[in-house]
Amino acid sequence: MVMWRPPDQGFPDLQKYGEEVGRFLRRWGPARVAGTGVAAVLLVWLATGLYVVRPAERAIVLQFGRVLTQTEPGLRYRLPGPIQSHLVVDVAQVRRAEVGYRTSGGRTDPTPQEALMLTGDENIVDVHLFIQYLVQDPAKFLFHARDPERALHASAEVALRAAVGENTIDYTMTDGRVEVQDRVKRHLQGLLDLYGTGLLVTEARLLVVDPPREVREAFHDVVRAWEDRERLIKEAEGYGEDIVPKARGEAVQMVRAAEAYREQRLIRARGDATRFLTVLEEYRKAEGVTRERLYLETIERTLPKMEKFILDTGNGRGGVLPLLPLKGLGLDPGPTQPPAAAPPAAGARR
Amino acid sequence: MVKLIAPLLVLGFFVVPQAAYIVAEWEQAIVTRFGQPIRTVREPGLYFKVPIAHTVTRFDKRILATDAVPGEYVTSDKKRLLVEHISRWSIADPLQFFRTMRDERGAVARLNDIVSGRLRQEIAKEDFKSIIREKRAAIMEVVAAATREAAASFGIQVVDVRIRRADLPPEVQASVFARMQAERHRIGLRYRAEGEEKAREIRATADKEREIILARAYADSQRLRGEGDAQATAVTGRAFGQDPAFYAFQRRLETYERIFANGTTIVLRPDSDLLRYLETPRPRR
Repeated sequence: MVMWRPPDQGFPDLQKYGEEVGRFLRRWGPARVAGTGVAAVLLVWLATGLYVVRPAERAIVLQFGRVLTQTEPGLRYRLPGPIQSHLVVDVAQVRRAEVGYRTSGGRTDPTPQEALMLTGDENIVDVHLFIQYLVQDPAKFLFHARDPERALHASAEVALRAAVGENTIDYTMTDGRVEVQDRVKRHLQGLLDLYGTGLLVTEARLLVVDPPREVREAFHDVVRAWEDRERLIKEAEGYGEDIVPKARGEAVQMVRAAEAYREQRLIRARGDATRFLTVLEEYRKAEGVTRERLYLETIERTLPKMEKFILDTGNGRGGVLPLLPLKGLGLDPGPTQPPAAAPPAAGARR
Repeated sequence: MVKLIAPLLVLGFFVVPQAAYIVAEWEQAIVTRFGQPIRTVREPGLYFKVPIAHTVTRFDKRILATDAVPGEYVTSDKKRLLVEHISRWSIADPLQFFRTMRDERGAVARLNDIVSGRLRQEIAKEDFKSIIREKRAAIMEVVAAATREAAASFGIQVVDVRIRRADLPPEVQASVFARMQAERHRIGLRYRAEGEEKAREIRATADKEREIILARAYADSQRLRGEGDAQATAVTGRAFGQDPAFYAFQRRLETYERIFANGTTIVLRPDSDLLRYLETPRPRR
């Protein structure tokens, strides 16, 4: 089908035509006027085929209800109805669908009916799913499935509940969140393709994966329990990190002390040995005299501090002798030899 | 002129709309002559018919959906389950469809009956858990296949049947919540007990490590002290061994000096070696 192009003058000037109609009536009579009128109506009719496709849009042109062509943005022309018609679809707009909640005017209202679902381990979880999509194939979007956006919403629920139903509540709420998201997206896209909706899901995101309100407190307590667990472990680790280095320090201290003992013992022993050897050397030069000297020097240092009694026990044989407690009598024992000691000693002499 | 235009107008405004009809891209139609089907139009475009005698009935050609139908089903383990299913279908044979169903509403009702009945059978075979978990898709396949077969005779092609929701009845939910709470409580207790367990283990390990470290250090220090004593003994032994008698003499002198503190009383004999000159310059011995 060859497309009809508009004449240069565009829309006909109605007022001008009105004046011309008057002139025709006077000049050419009713027959000519009628002919011109038909021509004018024809022009107006043809002009109704003009339409605009905005940048984000695509238009589908139908001829007698059958898809003829798809047109890009710009000022376009098609034959007027009922021969041709067109439908415009916004293909750039990112559309959104919400499962489990509805936003209106910045407020979010949960829809528990949609949001609460069973998990694989027979628990109930509260899930909000957000989906972004756009029209990928305008012709399919318009003609292949009735109400494709409603189909998307219902299919999103199908996909979401299937994915959540296959996993446990803990997995879905924690590690499995991204996986569930991906599965929902893939499953949903599969269904949309199966129904030929012409829609493309660009994002499926789990906004909320929570336990239901009735049991939320219990779940919070589990989180607290986990924190307690971690705290206990950290405290114990802290204890370990406190005492082990201290013990290591103490150990090193003990070893050093022992090393010091060993070294000092050796050094002292060497000193003792050296002293002995030195003295021995001199002693050997004059054994008798040195021996006497050493003995007497020691006695000189030792005896002055002691209390001394000189008793004659007779010929080196020991015996029990009466000994007066001279000190107790108040007599000065003094440094001088107590003469009082002599008489009993002498008396004892046999 | 008017004589020419008038018939054209009549043709244009009365005959053409009666004789020509457009089937749009999303439509299909059957043409009947006083209720008797004549032809089926499945392709979009401009078509003609005999005015007045022939009637055009249009049907949707797109994929249609039933609304979600909630129903209560019983599983093989006697649990009640609220299930909503959606079927997607299209009119594959408009004539057959027209004969058996007349319109969409009738078709939807019939389809839902078929699906519900079949679903009841399938759900009754499986236990609750497998319906929720792994069997969902398989059940849907079976139900869809059965529905597809049954619906084919109505000129309906079933695309698929899906479980949209499968929930517990509200009165059972409360007991599920109670169970969930109990389960969480259990998990909480376990976490805390595990924390205690790990903490004790860590503390005990640390204590053990400390004891081992100290014991090793004690062993090392005892060895070192022993070495010190041994080396000292060797060194002095070698030196003193050169003259044991002198060592004995000298060492005793040192010992005397140390052991006799101030005030020690000592008894000396006048004839001792020390005092042998005390009484006489010429001792007896």
